Amino acid sequence: MGTAPASRDVTSYGMGLAAPLALFFLVFFVAPLLQLLWLSLHNDTAALHWGLGQYLHFLTDPFSLSVLGSTLLLGAEVTLVCLVLGFPIAWLYQRVGPRLQTIIILIVLLPLLTSVVVRTFAWIVILGRQGIINATLQSLGIIDTPLKLLYTQFGVVIALAQVQMPLMTLPLITALGRIDPNLDDASCSLGAGSWRTFFRIVLPLSLPGVIAGCTLTYAAAITAFITQSLIGGGQMLFMPMYLYQQASTLQNWPFASAISIIFLLAVLAVVSVFTTLGRMSRGYGGA
Amino acid sequence: MILNRRSLMTTALTLGAMKAFPGLSFAQARPLVFATFTGSWEEAHKAVLVPAFRKANADAAMVLDPMLSVDQIAKVNAAKANPPIDVMLHDPGPALVAIGQDLVEPYPVEKSAYYKELISEAQEPMGPAPFFQVVGLTYNPEAVKTPPTSWADLWKPEFKGRVGITNLNSTLGTGWLVEIAKMRGGSEANVDPAFKAIEELKPNLAAVAANPGALATLFQQGQIDISPGNFNAIQILKARGVPVEFVAPKEGAIAFKTTIHIVKNSPNRELAFKLIEAALTAEVQTTLMNPPYLIVPTNSKVTMGGEIARVLAKDTAELKQKFVFQDWKKINEQRSAWIERFNREIKI
Repeated sequence: MGTAPASRDVTSYGMGLAAPLALFFLVFFVAPLLQLLWLSLHNDTAALHWGLGQYLHFLTDPFSLSVLGSTLLLGAEVTLVCLVLGFPIAWLYQRVGPRLQTIIILIVLLPLLTSVVVRTFAWIVILGRQGIINATLQSLGIIDTPLKLLYTQFGVVIALAQVQMPLMTLPLITALGRIDPNLDDASCSLGAGSWRTFFRIVLPLSLPGVIAGCTLTYAAAITAFITQSLIGGGQMLFMPMYLYQQASTLQNWPFASAISIIFLLAVLAVVSVFTTLGRMSRGYGGA
Repeated sequence: MILNRRSLMTTALTLGAMKAFPGLSFAQARPLVFATFTGSWEEAHKAVLVPAFRKANADAAMVLDPMLSVDQIAKVNAAKANPPIDVMLHDPGPALVAIGQDLVEPYPVEKSAYYKELISEAQEPMGPAPFFQVVGLTYNPEAVKTPPTSWADLWKPEFKGRVGITNLNSTLGTGWLVEIAKMRGGSEANVDPAFKAIEELKPNLAAVAANPGALATLFQQGQIDISPGNFNAIQILKARGVPVEFVAPKEGAIAFKTTIHIVKNSPNRELAFKLIEAALTAEVQTTLMNPPYLIVPTNSKVTMGGEIARVLAKDTAELKQKFVFQDWKKINEQRSAWIERFNREIKI
């Protein structure tokens, strides 16, 4: 540092190599973010008068708060569905032969190879009045009139869960792969049943993967503008659409900026809860 | 000449920078840039307007840079002194925003050869309307046997759970709301009756789409059978084999003036004027009126034909009588309050 070391410490690297990326982030990420913050601290659309009016407006308005709440709730629901459906896939992956493993990984990755728009349109076809689900249920005689699936919260959750599933499954596969299979056997030989082994051994040891998967899925689900608006329609308002409406249709940039900052902070809060849980689970796994 | 690593790097970086920021090398001599709308508008303008303009102006260089109205405004706003766009195209709401923010020049009416040929509603001194967009009723003829005739038909009990509308983000959604308000005794200044009417419409509502484009998907999927719709969008669906028909309701079809503007401080002012002139000519408008484009003309010398004559108007006189124009200055004043109210009240 201050004094010139005679021999270089091999465990420390010069910051020089990180400089291009750091500069890139500074110019294209930090600077726009600061501009956003600056804009959000104005009370009028022309950005002439300083003030906290936009934040006050959002935080004292029950409707805006309900939009924020329903968005965060949507993320939680999607994450839960992904976890419940994704965990067995990841678990299965660790217990089958190499050929089946290839097939599973292909199935998991396949959605990532098509665009979100295409996947979302596929869900419109599946959930529609004459879609696959309604047609099947009707031909089986279970229902008479088609169920309303499109433009409902249920539809949005299911579609988002499928679209974001790889983000959950991949970290889980990695985490489960790191668990020593002998631990299972040891647990069984000591008299624990399969469920007990799962809840006492497998689940705690896979927690880092669960938390990484949850963080990724959550962040992706609440910001998924395309899927939310195509499956949810025009009357289900989530934060990304609210933001778009204010910025694009109404040209109210200061309020839109304030919405983004609040949204950003809310997401950071949730993500930091996940990270804290992750840190705690590392202690738990090691114990 | 010896190439060392350093000079090679410098050269490479300079070349790279010139590639990445072409503005560095030719700041002034850029071609005319016309920001049309995306999708079918772009196709129509590329196929008809651009060739007509280039033919009349000795192959002058021009590019189409399709984008939404709001993006056009944002881009010009970001560089008012040296705007990256010369000609803008706007729906009535954004047009007033652009004029209000002092982004466009008045159209040189006295210099124009074709401005006076336009029907009076299209003569806008800040930027004339080269075409109209028309909103009427769209329905699926396979499910709806008797064609609807009025906006009020949307409330008929037989359409329970079959009606689609869009929210107010779009020009279409807002224009429709105002029309419903007028039908029930309101106006551009008072849309309370329309909100009450939508409340009564709820049992019939199958979907509130996020944008007019999503309505098209809903027709294709059989999710809805009837909705307000844009004449041009319906023609595109029809051409793809979707069973949809368009009718102008008896209260009048809502007509939006889509206006074309010269951007203030444009370095290509003269060419911009020439492009707009080309867009106003009867020849260009006639070609654009014919299939596959079916764009509603504004030049009174165009003889109406084909689908437009069949469903909309046979001539200018009928057009004036059947089209309803709205006061967007009034609408813009309260639009954000309406959007907020729609967000809160319309839940199905």
